[in-house]
Amino acid sequence: MKKVLALILAFCMIFALTACGSKTPASTESAAPSGGTEITLWTYPIGNWGDEKTVKALTDAFTAETGIKVTVEYLTYKDGDDKVNTAITAKKTPDLVMEGPERLVSNWGANGHMVDISDLFDDTDKKEINAAALAACFNADGKAYEYPLVMTAHCMAVNYNAFVEAGADQYINKETHTWTTEQFLKAVDALYAKYGDTVGAVFCNGQGGDQGTRALVNNLYGGTFTNAEHTAYTWDDAKNIKALKTLYDQNGIAYDASIVGGDEIANFYNGIFKMAFCWNIAQQLNPNSAGNGAGKTANGDEIVFMAFPSEDGTAKLQGGIWGFGIFDNGDAAKIEASKKFIKYMCDSAKTVDAVRASNFFAARSAAEGTDLSKVWADNEVMNEYTKLMPMLGDYYQVTTNWATARTAWWNMLQKVGASDGSEAAITAAVNEFCGQANGK
Amino acid sequence: MKQTMSPRLRRRENISGYLFLLPSLVFFLGFVVYPMVSCIYLSFTDANMDANTPTKWIWFANYVELWQDEVFLKGLWNTIIIVLVSVPVVCIFSLWVASAIHKMKEGPLSFFRIVFYLPVITGSVAVTVVWKWMYNNYYGIFNYLLKGVGVIDKNINWLGDPKYALACIILILLTTSVGQPIVLYVSALSNVDQSLVEAAEVDGATNTQVFWKIRWPQIMPTTLYILVITTINSFQCFALIQLLTSGGPNYATETIMYYIYYTAFKLYRFGYGNAMGVVLAIFIAILSAIQFRMAKEK
Repeated sequence: MKKVLALILAFCMIFALTACGSKTPASTESAAPSGGTEITLWTYPIGNWGDEKTVKALTDAFTAETGIKVTVEYLTYKDGDDKVNTAITAKKTPDLVMEGPERLVSNWGANGHMVDISDLFDDTDKKEINAAALAACFNADGKAYEYPLVMTAHCMAVNYNAFVEAGADQYINKETHTWTTEQFLKAVDALYAKYGDTVGAVFCNGQGGDQGTRALVNNLYGGTFTNAEHTAYTWDDAKNIKALKTLYDQNGIAYDASIVGGDEIANFYNGIFKMAFCWNIAQQLNPNSAGNGAGKTANGDEIVFMAFPSEDGTAKLQGGIWGFGIFDNGDAAKIEASKKFIKYMCDSAKTVDAVRASNFFAARSAAEGTDLSKVWADNEVMNEYTKLMPMLGDYYQVTTNWATARTAWWNMLQKVGASDGSEAAITAAVNEFCGQANGK
Repeated sequence: MKQTMSPRLRRRENISGYLFLLPSLVFFLGFVVYPMVSCIYLSFTDANMDANTPTKWIWFANYVELWQDEVFLKGLWNTIIIVLVSVPVVCIFSLWVASAIHKMKEGPLSFFRIVFYLPVITGSVAVTVVWKWMYNNYYGIFNYLLKGVGVIDKNINWLGDPKYALACIILILLTTSVGQPIVLYVSALSNVDQSLVEAAEVDGATNTQVFWKIRWPQIMPTTLYILVITTINSFQCFALIQLLTSGGPNYATETIMYYIYYTAFKLYRFGYGNAMGVVLAIFIAILSAIQFRMAKEK
């Protein structure tokens, strides 16, 4: 009897151990009619696509119409990539993932983990989808690893009250949300004269929000980050070096290796900085995710979103594109079900709901006869923000070696910030890290 | 009368014993042995995320590349600095504190043990966030205090300036590392044979002589243990770097552990990252062996 008990105990312990090791992610499932295919979706927090209640309503509607059950897991930007990469290594990837082309196309797609979904794009789709977004979803071989749902333009923001106090409001065009490099530098001078401290930071602790620093540097004197073919990194050109030196020499602007974009936003929201280089419509609607009302800092100052300054006042903004891709798990039925999900969310009468859930703009003008250009007609802030959309520049995040290039960029900024600020030192830092990005 | 078990009974006892061992054994094999073997194997390959090209066996190429990689060498140097500073400081400081408090009454003794042990039981993320706030360039308490007493006239970017960043990391590491050694030393000092101490005092030994001739030899095993765990912890400094500096500014706080993470999970060079892991393990093993050897000789 004693041995039987011992045996049972041992097996219990083994099973307990097995239970500890089993993977049960925090997830939600849509109610499904029995017998339907089941698919899994991992989504990054793209607006309310990170909100369980919102997403469940969308997936439940999909399930009710198709009978396909959807299990959703919510990723964060902090550890989402690690989770996906671990899943790839363990061959436990989800069927669907929602994020942007820099991950889906140039990373997981380029590395052979995604299904080519080019068959989902017919001629009508190609006409309706924004050209930049469409191009970003395809790789050089003509294979598509993402179907775009929404897009936005990343921009910067200024504390308008502080600008008025410093007399710097004369340098911004509040109607068009544009300014020139000269006006930007004069505005910083005025702010520095008034506040005597750092008013804006070239943050470079890590990659968080780095699209802001790239756009700032590239726009100041018309530099580029990559070539048009997306085959090489070009941020070692003289225009970018001039921009980096201008920022280094500018009183009131600091290269800060202790903060990332999120910290910069927090400092801006709390009135420490008078401008933020990491901004977009999501921040404008809910600054610092503080739930304190749209377009207001912590103490109620007005936040005005602005295009990045350029010599002629016409900025090329960094785009954000988000959509769905399918991991290649070798199950034809699940791939087919995933394609149905994509078409349902991105190209159907229900696309309006999927777009609104993201708080961004539709990546296409219409979907199956539904006009998507007026999705946000009832929202004043969103409507105003559409003024920036024509300024969308090249979506270069699909360039080869993107992960290395991204890291090289903020490491380069750190080195520039720690240098003596001479042109030679800045050029050396730029050449070193741009060389790394180009695989030299 | 000597009783012997029958072979059948002995076999059954053995089977029962092994069955009880099985869960731990499975865990050990699955989460320690397998990853170790896998790490060594992968370090000789070019394993990465690319499913389109098969993993190639590249012999020692990763190991050769390591010694030509300036970031790895910088990380190695920073790691060595962290170890060289934090290990002696932790040992000496914790011994000093323990010596000062171990004779106290239960109440004050518990109070000091709690004070020094709190950072150990507080979550590392919470501790780091608090330190990040204190170091903040714009509103941190260090700048506020130092400016207040006139030591500095301009804010210092503690974590953003290569001159200060590593020292700031080491300071946090020290505060989170001294708790356990203090508790261990208090316990070890309390267990020192008092009759020997009293005999030495009767013979006219000074406090210093009592400490070095009587107490120090008796707490040597504890010292050895503290040296080894502090060395390993210092070598494995990762969370602080990840949460505070990402190895910057300008690689000033890059450590081997952080570079392994960065190489494997940001650049997806699993083979190269594993090679670094093997080198790190060898370093730790060698240092631990030296420490054991030295303590044994003493």
